[in-house]
Amino acid sequence: MLEIRNLQLEFRSDQQAVRAVDGVSFSIGPGETLGLVGESGSGKSVTALSIGRLLRTPPAFYAGGEILLNGRDVLKASNRELRELRGRGVSYIFQEPGVSLNPVFRVGAQIKESLRLHRPQAATEAEVVRLLQGVGIAAPEMRVKSYPHEISGGMQQRVMIAMALAAEPKLLVADEPTTALDVTIQAQILALLKDVQQRLGMSLLLITHNLGIVGQMADRVAVMYAGQIVETAPAQELLRRPLHPYTRALMQAAPRLGAEGGRLANIPGSVPRPGAMPFGCRFHPRCAMARPECSVQQPTLAVVEDGRQVRCPYWNSP
Amino acid sequence: MSAASPLLEVRDVKVYFPVKHGIFGAVRRWVKAVDGVSFELAAGETLGLVGESGCGKTTLGRALARLVPLTEGSIRLEGEDMAQWTGAQLRARRRKWQMIFQDPYNSLDPRMTVGHIIGEALEIHHLASDARERQARVRQLLESVGLDGAYAAFYPHEFSGGQRQRIGIARALAVDPKLIICDEPVSALDVSVQAQIINLLQDLQQERGVAYLFVAHDLAVVERISRRVMVMYLGKVVELGQAAAVVRTPRHPYTQALISAVPEIDDQSQRPRIVLSGELPSPIDPPSGCPFHPRCPVAEARCKLEVPLLREIVPGHWAACHLAGPASRAEA
Repeated sequence: MLEIRNLQLEFRSDQQAVRAVDGVSFSIGPGETLGLVGESGSGKSVTALSIGRLLRTPPAFYAGGEILLNGRDVLKASNRELRELRGRGVSYIFQEPGVSLNPVFRVGAQIKESLRLHRPQAATEAEVVRLLQGVGIAAPEMRVKSYPHEISGGMQQRVMIAMALAAEPKLLVADEPTTALDVTIQAQILALLKDVQQRLGMSLLLITHNLGIVGQMADRVAVMYAGQIVETAPAQELLRRPLHPYTRALMQAAPRLGAEGGRLANIPGSVPRPGAMPFGCRFHPRCAMARPECSVQQPTLAVVEDGRQVRCPYWNSP
Repeated sequence: MSAASPLLEVRDVKVYFPVKHGIFGAVRRWVKAVDGVSFELAAGETLGLVGESGCGKTTLGRALARLVPLTEGSIRLEGEDMAQWTGAQLRARRRKWQMIFQDPYNSLDPRMTVGHIIGEALEIHHLASDARERQARVRQLLESVGLDGAYAAFYPHEFSGGQRQRIGIARALAVDPKLIICDEPVSALDVSVQAQIINLLQDLQQERGVAYLFVAHDLAVVERISRRVMVMYLGKVVELGQAAAVVRTPRHPYTQALISAVPEIDDQSQRPRIVLSGELPSPIDPPSGCPFHPRCPVAEARCKLEVPLLREIVPGHWAACHLAGPASRAEA
């Protein structure tokens, strides 16, 4: 369905080029959910935006790699092909639905516009109502007339999902779709995403910093740190037994409900800025297991077990 | 102040905001942001305050910091009624409480050096006799929050989010307050940095005996740092108890739903998940009876009519629900 091979993404200015994504590869099968996990600055969002080539170039510059969506390389697509890929190939929902919706148009009109662009034969009032019904909006005949500011954040996100589904995409990219929502509304939206995915057989790329959401939603996980993937694994295996020191530290740093008190294990320092990456392993200055070699050698992402890859040669040492 | 009286005593606090209508701006209705909240906070204690957006937790925190006026009720700090303080009296007491905000980017003046930001508080409250002493205090404060003293000469934009939150904490500590109101202090931070700040707040409390009112929406964070937890819904307290008891045996159906909605790493659906229908009703027009009844999975006829009072269900554990009994539903 989607295969990203060795993606290299830079942000260039007059003075310098900063590599935000450095050699990222992963794939998503039909109907599969991949969780892409990382902290701010890890490169997870710009990787996802690259799939629909949504980054402005310049400053963004694709320095290498391939993004194959249904066998076609997005990075080599013409503008006409891109229009086709966006929508029917890949649709997006983002963290802040209030910012993504146009404030001066009624929600019905915005969904209809999405239909007109991607499925013109279905651009009818009835289809808009059906889509709103499909994302659990009560009284959709009334809601089509609402402006975005008249509805709550949870309902705005439902409208965004309806707009994304209007194109009947093969792949839905959800970038922190519930981070701005309250926890009870988050539960509703996650349940909705799972439901529509199963109904439509879509693939889902779910970007999140929340490992709990990964456990609930994802089949497989890729963990990113400082522009690189440091670990990939089936979701449940990764959460049960994280192998990379960063993944382990991240899981220990997240407070869990009902756990005994005491100090949280923290990761010293902060995420390096793109353009100021440490030599050798990018995590070594913050790693509790770092050894002298780590500041010299760049580790590679290596297969360590069936279906598992880890970017740390010492993952198995005590 | 007698040794037995709490640091903070909040009695039936109400904060209403007027909704104006028409060309003459007549007040037709009120948003009942905080609607009759009472609690106590002991010196050196942490009380966690959780709830979803619009529940009134931030407004309550601001009312305690005297940033919004009370509509009704009283707040006593060290036994004195805060509302009575004016002028010089108020200025002399202002340093007893401080606030830390969610967004460390917007709560520091970008044109002031860190030394100036922290030193300003010392200057206003005459806590240093001269510039030299002030500088020394600023260095000490920076070091106490885990930053290099030399950072005093830097500007806020030169720091990461976590470092900026440390600066905000140093500024709050400068006046040696008895109470710090922390409004979502870690929700804008990455997980790895969030843990550093939580640990720092705990260490500082042990060293200095400062009390925290810790306002946050993340239950796991609140449970970790608080001795007691208070849950708000639509301006009212629905549950109050020891942190572990509230999380393990929640007595109010809303708290039960809130806890079950938290996506957990090691959750393999052994925990029953309660997905609430609907959303938070408007605080302008709250439902009759129990404010939670339209979304409550166990509501009965009387829940629509009678407002449930906050009752002590088991010793030290309070809930505002007609149906809550000593045997929690999980145990029943």
